[in-house]
Amino acid sequence: MDDVQSDVNRELMLDGNAVAGKLQDIFGLEMTANPTECAHCGNVSEIGGLLAFTQAPGAVLRCPTCENVMLRIVETPDAIYLDARGAAYLRLEHRTS
Amino acid sequence: MADRFISRGFVGKRRQTEATNRVPPGQHAVSDFPVLSAGPTPRTRLDQWTLTIEGLVREPVRWTWEEFLKLPAQQFVVDIHCVTKWTKLDTRWEGVSVDTLFEHVELDRKAMVVTAFSDGGYTTNIPLPEIINGQAFVAYTYDGRPLAPEHGGPARLVVPHLYFWKSAKWVRGLRLMEKDKSGFWESLGYNNHGDPWKEERYAGD
Amino acid sequence: MKRTLEWQIAAVKSITPETPKVKTFTLTLPDWTPHRAGQHYDVRLTAPDGYQAQRSYSIASEPERRGEIDLTVERLEDGEVSSYMHDVLVPGDQIEVRGPIGGYFVWEAGMGGPLLLIAGGSGVVPLMAMIRHRAAAGSTIPTRLLYSSRTPEDVIYSNELEKLRATNTGLEILHTFTRAQPPGWTGYARRIDNQMLSEVVKPLGISPQTFICGPTLLVEAAANGLVQIGVKSGQVRTERFGPSGGTA
Repeated sequence: MDDVQSDVNRELMLDGNAVAGKLQDIFGLEMTANPTECAHCGNVSEIGGLLAFTQAPGAVLRCPTCENVMLRIVETPDAIYLDARGAAYLRLEHRTS
Repeated sequence: MADRFISRGFVGKRRQTEATNRVPPGQHAVSDFPVLSAGPTPRTRLDQWTLTIEGLVREPVRWTWEEFLKLPAQQFVVDIHCVTKWTKLDTRWEGVSVDTLFEHVELDRKAMVVTAFSDGGYTTNIPLPEIINGQAFVAYTYDGRPLAPEHGGPARLVVPHLYFWKSAKWVRGLRLMEKDKSGFWESLGYNNHGDPWKEERYAGD
Repeated sequence: MKRTLEWQIAAVKSITPETPKVKTFTLTLPDWTPHRAGQHYDVRLTAPDGYQAQRSYSIASEPERRGEIDLTVERLEDGEVSSYMHDVLVPGDQIEVRGPIGGYFVWEAGMGGPLLLIAGGSGVVPLMAMIRHRAAAGSTIPTRLLYSSRTPEDVIYSNELEKLRATNTGLEILHTFTRAQPPGWTGYARRIDNQMLSEVVKPLGISPQTFICGPTLLVEAAANGLVQIGVKSGQVRTERFGPSGGTA
């Protein structure tokens, strides 16, 4: 395993857990345990396991395997925007109650 | 909003109100240089790096890193304004003016807008009249040192009169186009133009 | 469970120093709901001019402790929210929070084990909630915490971890110190690597349920290392904190 090179940007990188609150605002549901498939490489990951870049004008969630953008979230004073084109699907399991 | 809860004794750091006309509305001046990014730091080797001007030009042109460094460069001292509300005054850069780059191409008369594109897939769009006449440059040093990767090195676009998301990090080229195409943030709620003095932050501002 | 997250105004019941840079804030909540170990609350501060700052902090306390939560927060040099909490907040003050939030990085005793917990610095906080919950639930699931700190002074919950280890069947605590060790220390004294992971994992079987929390670089090194030594990646859940501190 190679020595990890200091990378300010990588140190600032978080994961889907960091946007759990925002996703719950959007979906009205806890989302981080839900699986999602990368539209680019097919990797399936729970949303909590996606790479997250939150030090930005918005939040960008990327596939942990190929690093392609899967979800983008922008919050403006009036609205939340969600772009999920990088996700082939989000899977929300039926829950009792 | 009526009866919003106020946290006792909280003012927020970096909230010194500057009574200066250099800080656009809604911004505050900072002394550090925050790192913001939508993705991991691209790591293109300099021997593989190129900068391209393409699209609605008679002949596209491409420079290698060595060729790019040989272009006439200038020092620029500019104020920069991030849409996340920080402003940094008197930032010092060295780089090549976009005017210099455009001397090497013949622009098609239909060219109206420029898309800047970067390693990692980032894009942003700028009206052609706002990227020429000394308004933009491709920078490769910051504060007297080679531009750090986390700040967009080896080279980034700098367009100081617009919000800093338009100053594409890790820039690899400028594409001249007839029809405007929203870039990475412009396509998800941010303003297509981005003038900090008119507070054009979000779509519809 | 469909639920919109609502902000509520919590009261600061007490503030407990853990290490020179870390404090635990015990908050009573008017609208407390039982959380799951590993979840977090969002904290929001509002200045008189309307300016707001918001951060997420992992819950340190077990859900069995009703009506209140512990948030253990490291004071960051540049931290807007953490420095306010450390420097300004006193018992009796109020603070706006919402939660509990999270569903991926959670463990309940009913989920079984064996359980491997790997912490770097303040990443120990959500794992401590899991350990406290395990104790409160009377669970004897084989559990090991591998906790990486710079120096012994940086260890959060030091005494309590020792007490829990001594009184709880099946719980083991392994420290590694990367900068300075206690006098006479014979344990690990380096950054987490694959050799250490192999040794730590061995008594727990081939593929324990694993939770790793801490700075991004440590989390990635540990997660990659575990997969390299044969732990199934589906068994490993991670939560990255910023360079030192909580999630943004």
